[in-house]
Amino acid sequence: MLPAAAEPAAGDSWGMLACLCTVLWHLPAVPALNRTGDPGPGPSIQKTYDLTRYLEHQLRSLAGTYLNYLGPPFNEPDFNPPRLGAETLPRATVNLDVWQNLSDKLRLTQNYEAYSHLLCYLRGLNRQAATAELRRSLAHFCTSLQGLLGSIAGVMAALGYPLPQPLPGTEPTWSPDPAHSDFLQKMDDFWLLKELQTWLWRSAKDFNRLKKKMQPPAAAVTLRLEAHGF
Amino acid sequence: MDFTLCLTQRSRMVDSKRMRMTSNFQWPLLTFILLYLMSQVNSQKKGAPHDLKCITNNLQVWDCSWKAPSGAGHGTFYEVCIENGSYSCYPSEKTNIKIPALSPGDHEVVISPLRDFGSSISKFILSEKNVSLIPDTPEILNLSADFPTSTLHLKWSDRGSVLPRHSNVIWEIKILRKKNMEIVKSVTHNTTLNGKDTVHHWSWTSDMPLECATHYVGIRCYVDDTHFSGHKEWSDWSQLKNISWSPDSQTKVFPQDKVILVGSDVIVCCVTRDNVSSAQIGLTKCPLIHLDGKNVAIKIHNISVSASSGTNVVFTTEDNIYGTVLFAGYPPDIPQKLNCETYDLKEIVCSWNPGRPTALVGPRVTSYTLFESFSGKNVRFKRTEASTNESHQLFFQMLPNQEIYNFTLNAHNPLGQSESMILVNITEKVYPHSPTSVKVKDVNSTAVTLSWRLPGNFAKIKFLCQIEINKTNSIQELRNVTIKGVENSSYLVAVDKLNPYTIYTFRIRCSTETFWKWSKWSNEKQYLTTEAIPSKGPDTWREWSSDGKNLIIYWKPLPVNEANGKILSYNVSCSSDEETQSLSEIPDPQHKAELQLDKNDYIISVVAKNSVGSSPPSKIASMEIPNDDLKIEQAVGMGNGIPLTWNYDPNMTCDYVIKWCNSSRSEPCLMDWKKVPSNSTATVIESDQFRPGVRYHFFLYGCRNQGYQLLRSIIGYIEELAPIVAPNFTVEDTSADSILVKWEDIPVEELRGFLRGYLFYFEKGERDTSKMRSLESGRSDVKVKNITDISQKTLRIADLQGKTSYHLVLRAYTDGGMGPEKSMFVVTKENSVGLIIAILIPVAVAIIVGVVTSILCYRKREWIKETFYPDIPNPENCKALQFQKSVCQGNSTLKTLEMNPCTPNSVEVLETRSIVPKIEDTEIISPVAEHLEDSSDAEPENHVVVSYCPPVIEEEIANPGLDEGGGTSQVIYIDIQSMYQPQAKPEEEQENDAVGGAGYKPQMHLPVTSTVEDLAADDDLEKTAGYRPQANVNTWNLVSPDSPRSTDSNSEIVSFGSPCSINSRQFLIPPKDEDSPKSNGGGWSFTNFFQNKPND
Repeated sequence: MLPAAAEPAAGDSWGMLACLCTVLWHLPAVPALNRTGDPGPGPSIQKTYDLTRYLEHQLRSLAGTYLNYLGPPFNEPDFNPPRLGAETLPRATVNLDVWQNLSDKLRLTQNYEAYSHLLCYLRGLNRQAATAELRRSLAHFCTSLQGLLGSIAGVMAALGYPLPQPLPGTEPTWSPDPAHSDFLQKMDDFWLLKELQTWLWRSAKDFNRLKKKMQPPAAAVTLRLEAHGF
Repeated sequence: MDFTLCLTQRSRMVDSKRMRMTSNFQWPLLTFILLYLMSQVNSQKKGAPHDLKCITNNLQVWDCSWKAPSGAGHGTFYEVCIENGSYSCYPSEKTNIKIPALSPGDHEVVISPLRDFGSSISKFILSEKNVSLIPDTPEILNLSADFPTSTLHLKWSDRGSVLPRHSNVIWEIKILRKKNMEIVKSVTHNTTLNGKDTVHHWSWTSDMPLECATHYVGIRCYVDDTHFSGHKEWSDWSQLKNISWSPDSQTKVFPQDKVILVGSDVIVCCVTRDNVSSAQIGLTKCPLIHLDGKNVAIKIHNISVSASSGTNVVFTTEDNIYGTVLFAGYPPDIPQKLNCETYDLKEIVCSWNPGRPTALVGPRVTSYTLFESFSGKNVRFKRTEASTNESHQLFFQMLPNQEIYNFTLNAHNPLGQSESMILVNITEKVYPHSPTSVKVKDVNSTAVTLSWRLPGNFAKIKFLCQIEINKTNSIQELRNVTIKGVENSSYLVAVDKLNPYTIYTFRIRCSTETFWKWSKWSNEKQYLTTEAIPSKGPDTWREWSSDGKNLIIYWKPLPVNEANGKILSYNVSCSSDEETQSLSEIPDPQHKAELQLDKNDYIISVVAKNSVGSSPPSKIASMEIPNDDLKIEQAVGMGNGIPLTWNYDPNMTCDYVIKWCNSSRSEPCLMDWKKVPSNSTATVIESDQFRPGVRYHFFLYGCRNQGYQLLRSIIGYIEELAPIVAPNFTVEDTSADSILVKWEDIPVEELRGFLRGYLFYFEKGERDTSKMRSLESGRSDVKVKNITDISQKTLRIADLQGKTSYHLVLRAYTDGGMGPEKSMFVVTKENSVGLIIAILIPVAVAIIVGVVTSILCYRKREWIKETFYPDIPNPENCKALQFQKSVCQGNSTLKTLEMNPCTPNSVEVLETRSIVPKIEDTEIISPVAEHLEDSSDAEPENHVVVSYCPPVIEEEIANPGLDEGGGTSQVIYIDIQSMYQPQAKPEEEQENDAVGGAGYKPQMHLPVTSTVEDLAADDDLEKTAGYRPQANVNTWNLVSPDSPRSTDSNSEIVSFGSPCSINSRQFLIPPKDEDSPKSNGGGWSFTNFFQNKPND
């Protein structure tokens, strides 16, 4: 690309102009010109976004297996019980206005806290599963979720936000209440999976929003250079 | 007891009195009785206590009551007098009185109302039989419920203190459900009284969870006292007590998380304040059973086995769902194949098969407890995994000084338990681990020590171990050894009787002496035993070189079991009486040495050396003792070898040697040799090098006085084959009747067997004739000569014909078969005398015949003249000659034979098949023709009526052209008029004719006449159609009979219609056609030659 500029037709002003135009045309494509030394949080946000999509896909398979394990009616597609027992689960649903007005820090903090809790619950679920195959699947998913948590922490660190510190003694645990019947436990499991799915959807939107926000205005640079060229 | 009873008693008394006062007082007594009865009736009318009833609840006090007289007012007093041995009276203010139980028997009871003068006295006869035993109404002391198990516990007292001992009491308990008191259960319960107040317990498990509805319980009793002769009646029902669950605000489904047996029925209810819309178990909807309030229940019949997370039962209300999980499974099966053994006498391993899966997992999984009864110790086994059918194991630490263990394995789950027992002497149940760390150490070249480890404390037992010894190319050997068990796990045994310098593979397994199980085999251990000196000297032979100056010593490498190590070199030395000559060491791969010796008598010795030492020397004498009496013999192998036999010769002191070589090789040749002990007289020479069809030369040497003498010389084949070449032969001499043939020998390599003879074939024949191909003796014209004298090299074939080509073939044969043949063609020389004779004799005969004939003719000439040459008439009278002349003159003066119009007679043409060939002349051939043929086959009786002319005319047309007509010769001429008339032909045939019988058909017309079935044929027709007239053939006129094309498909003459065969059946020309210009068509001149125009 650039070496083309080293062979101008001497004395030919039209040739010089063409050469200059060529150089300017190719300038935006030179990576060194588009990047500062620090890549910023952009790549890690993209990575986190990709991870949420991957986990969403992974959860779909896990939930199918787990709901089949719970048995009907939990594995019926139209099964939608009221969310009564699972009050301790972090809610993903939020008012649209509220969501749009969330600051980046709060948005990331909420994500981090939600997945910390969900991960704890999921590990509890793993301990209870009766079949080895289910335990393997859950353990695999837990590892992936741990990765997402680390990824969110990475984004927060890149943006300079501190990680939320859990209050001592308030760490969520998944120790089933002795009075909690098996059926209510199944309902909780159902809601845990459902809430997890909703959170993954929300996180995908959150990180997409962050991604757009953090993207450097490369298009503007291109336009400016073009204007110079012509 | 009532009044009637009293009367009866009275009458009985009256009867007894009457018996006592029989005759004297008969009449006055009757009067008295009558008066008494009347007074009784009157007193009743006035009112007396009546309906005396006595009951008891404790058999000790009778509570008697009666009904007051009708007129008795309030405050009437009664005096009740009872005769019970003594006569005792009791005052009573009421109409009842409690009296002590009376003794058995009848007692008179008189009830007298006091201060009531209107009433009269009542007398009753009272006995125990008239008393009813009605126990007191029982009272429920306590009713409690165990809600998780849906069990009711009932507690009551039997009040046994008030009743005599040993009475049986029957309790009836009823259970009612819901507010409308549906009886769900009624049971009886038997107890025996023991004289004290005893509290009884009774429990009942409800099929419906007790939380679902209120349950009520009532009880009553019946005292079955065998000594009491009166009526026994049930007590009244006790007051009902109920059990109900006080629901909190939350809706709940019961039972919660219950484990139930597969196949049982279960009721699940929902205690709620909302309206339940539906209920389902798994995916199955269930009908609702309405209970009190808005509570509902469902009944599940024959519940099936649950999945690992249980079976969900769900109730749906308007805005929520409630549910429970049921776990349907089985109680644990009896543990199967329980077996306890030890690997190391430190720990006992008990294994078992759980049997049928329980379908219960997690907290409901079967737990196992292994209990040892002598020591009282136990170990538990629990796993939360879904129990598969795999074997389970429990480890039990062995106890010091205890050998006998009595194990009980108990399996337990929420649905039940089962157990299995085993009593073992653990020293008899040792299943050792596989021996490890197997090591081999050599003792000497034939013995090693084997050591291994067997972890465990086996100090008290003995082991039986098996050592498997494997040697390459040898069968494996098993050696059993008994070893005393040790504490430190190390074992060592010696293994002897091994071969030096041999690779052995060892492996070991052990069991206890009181055999229980072999351990698994240890890993294999390979070991090479050390070398020993070679046990024998090499097998040697010597050969003198062809010039007789050098002696070549040969020896064979020692076999492995004799070499006892790696042979490094050989030492060869020769010694005579005077000197000993030794060659330098010959390294191993070389097995041959050459010594330059004069013809002295030497002894050559060969010694093999390995790293340990030298073998004993092998000695062989160099001297060769001549033998004049030698002849070459023949031998043929049998199987894989060639058998050789010889006579026993006592002079042969050492041994016999047979050496052999390929006979085609030059001398001295040596392939191999074999030594046979001197006492043998036969051997079989076998070698992998022997090949069929190759001639070998065998030499049998006898060893005598330290020298070898050639005893026999034999040539032989391991297997004879047929020669691969034919003998090369030539014709030496040829005469008119004989041929002399000469041939050459076949080389030994190509003979491939012992030559047994030649076969010579000869026959007449020339080169290039096909019958020369195979000359076999089976053919009569082939002459064969078998020449069995193999020294014969010529053959004269006599008695041949002169100047004739002969085919000669020669082939050799062995016992292996015939060789290929070589052939040659020879022509014998001409025989001139015979030729002359052959010419002269016919000439002479012809002359003689001519002379005789001439003489006879001359002598009979008159007779011949009259017979053969009578007077010749005038040729002018011959009409036939005139006719011929007219023809030559031209058409205008043509005069034909006069033909009178003949009346056609019918004639039947029987050979209808003759029509068929004519069809072949048509342009359209196969499909239609076949069709026609079919139809003619189908109706062989078809008659074709045609015309014929008188035979005179028939003669006229009997010319060569007609003869070719073949089968149509019966039909000669057809009157054209008759052809226009409809003929008596079957319609089918006409149709067929219409299609294919015509000689020529205009091609355009064909599709019209074709039937649907002949569509395929139509296609063919269209393809083959080359030319098509433009007009429809129907419009054509039958112009002239001399035109072959005039045979229209619609005419009836089609069966004759071949233009080629027109010669043989010329139509007579109808009169109306005579003016047709086409009638004299030039192209038809040959047939015109035969046309007869009647008008001419």
